[in-house]
Amino acid sequence: MSINLEVNVGGLVMKNPVTVGSGTFAYGQEYNSYFDVSRLGAVTTKSLSLKPRAGNKPPRLVETPAGMLNAIGLQNVGIEAYLRDKAPWLREHNCTIIGNIYGYSPEEYAELARRLEAEGAADAIEANLSCPNVHDARTARGCTLVAQDPEQVQRYTEAIRAATKLPLFIKLSPNVIDIAESALAAEAAGADGLSLINTLLGIGINPETRRPILSNIVGGLSGPAIRPVAVKLVWDAARAVKIPIIGMGGICNANDALQFILAGATAVAVGCYTFRKPDAAMDVVNGMEDYCRRHGVEKITDLIGAMEMQ
Amino acid sequence: MPYILDCEITSHQEVAPGHYRLVAHAPEIAAAAAAGQFCMLEVQEGFYPFLRRPMCFERIYPDSVSILYKIEGEGTRLLSRFTAGQSINIQGPLGKPFPLNGAYQRHIMVAGGIGIAPFPALAEAIIAQLGKTPEVIIAARNEDLLLCEDIFQQMGCKIHLATDDGSVGKKAFASEVLDALEPSKDSIVYCCGPMPMMKATHAVCQQRKIPCLASLEAEMACGDGVCLGCVVEANVEIEAERMVRVCCDGPVFDSTTIHWESY
Repeated sequence: MSINLEVNVGGLVMKNPVTVGSGTFAYGQEYNSYFDVSRLGAVTTKSLSLKPRAGNKPPRLVETPAGMLNAIGLQNVGIEAYLRDKAPWLREHNCTIIGNIYGYSPEEYAELARRLEAEGAADAIEANLSCPNVHDARTARGCTLVAQDPEQVQRYTEAIRAATKLPLFIKLSPNVIDIAESALAAEAAGADGLSLINTLLGIGINPETRRPILSNIVGGLSGPAIRPVAVKLVWDAARAVKIPIIGMGGICNANDALQFILAGATAVAVGCYTFRKPDAAMDVVNGMEDYCRRHGVEKITDLIGAMEMQ
Repeated sequence: MPYILDCEITSHQEVAPGHYRLVAHAPEIAAAAAAGQFCMLEVQEGFYPFLRRPMCFERIYPDSVSILYKIEGEGTRLLSRFTAGQSINIQGPLGKPFPLNGAYQRHIMVAGGIGIAPFPALAEAIIAQLGKTPEVIIAARNEDLLLCEDIFQQMGCKIHLATDDGSVGKKAFASEVLDALEPSKDSIVYCCGPMPMMKATHAVCQQRKIPCLASLEAEMACGDGVCLGCVVEANVEIEAERMVRVCCDGPVFDSTTIHWESY
């Protein structure tokens, strides 16, 4: 029996539904020594900004039960170096590219999307409206992330939408009361898909020193610890919008990934588990195929939102 | 290219209070490894600890590698429970090795505590590849925690001991012992240990205008340059290069690269 794993995420055709979480795969090439990264449905880049960013001061990460808390602060090479040094490799190796972007204003996001499209350096855009690690936690309070305010989500999405014809995905934050509000705002503004979830906000404190473990104080929690939260938010969002969802949060194997798909995601991303097992995303692809074979599923799209409720 | 392999542990022993030496049969990794590089160990199968543990190679044998480590937290505590005959998943070799430069006559290794770990392999490499016998300064809190003295003795290295409590050797900091050795233009220094100790060693080398290579340690998620969690601040103005990754830009750095004032 031949299994069809191909999915179409808002215009982006992926040969299988598996990509990687932005920031857990650098620019793709780094993991090619472990497996052929072009076999993934797509490679999602580290968040790219207009100017290179040094990111936060260390310490930037701390391990937590079944996960990790990080405050990298979007350290990245910047769009110019990406276009010059990173994108050509991805193209030469026939990778499908989701270009993740981060800016300080709608105009910056729009400019980044425009550059990626003009240079042919991405097949889809993922706008990170939800990075928790670029604000000063000492003073920030309330809606510090764009993704926490549906009006802002709409305004940013409209600006990026106007700048590109590429499939546009908006990456949303789980740190909200109702994910449906930001999901609907992105959809109304013309997004072709949603990526969720970004990390959950958290703090670690060292009782011996009474100081925060991360220099940024606040960090983003990821890993298997957050998976049930992520599956639930994907389920919520999928019922609220018609556009497809890339689900992520603590995926380590095919069973984890299938939970997202059954909850309504069209594709999935493997995040920080890649740090432990560099070819984890490929395991997910292979495991999905096995699952389909075992269950007589001919095409993976039959499983989208197929959770059975009595 | 790094390997990820299940390797059989051939011996695992406590060598000092809270300090262990693990030897694993890993022919591919050993063949690819060089002194100063490290590997990532999976300390258990489940999700806590979630991440691998970075450990430098203490010795690199034809078909195996040894790891010398100190119990610091949950990961190393679990690691210490592995027994000979069990298998452990090792990813490596990773990072940049110590560069070897035969132009220097005097090679001095300065180690603080568990910072001794990369130096047996380095001493072997210097002897084998450069035909020179390095000196080593071994500094520790007390006599019980001095590691690897026997190994360096067997290699014929000149050994200088220092302890914080004066229980053996000089009651001095490693950097002070280095200064007293009066290293000059024909010398190169390699250091590994706590940041303040390396900072002081760097200062001595700067004053004496001699090169110093520092092997750094950091918590890291991936070991491959991807997570950007292990960075330290560097001495450059270029925004994109202000942080260097211990895992793949290092772990061995020319000490002038590091912005020691931050530490």
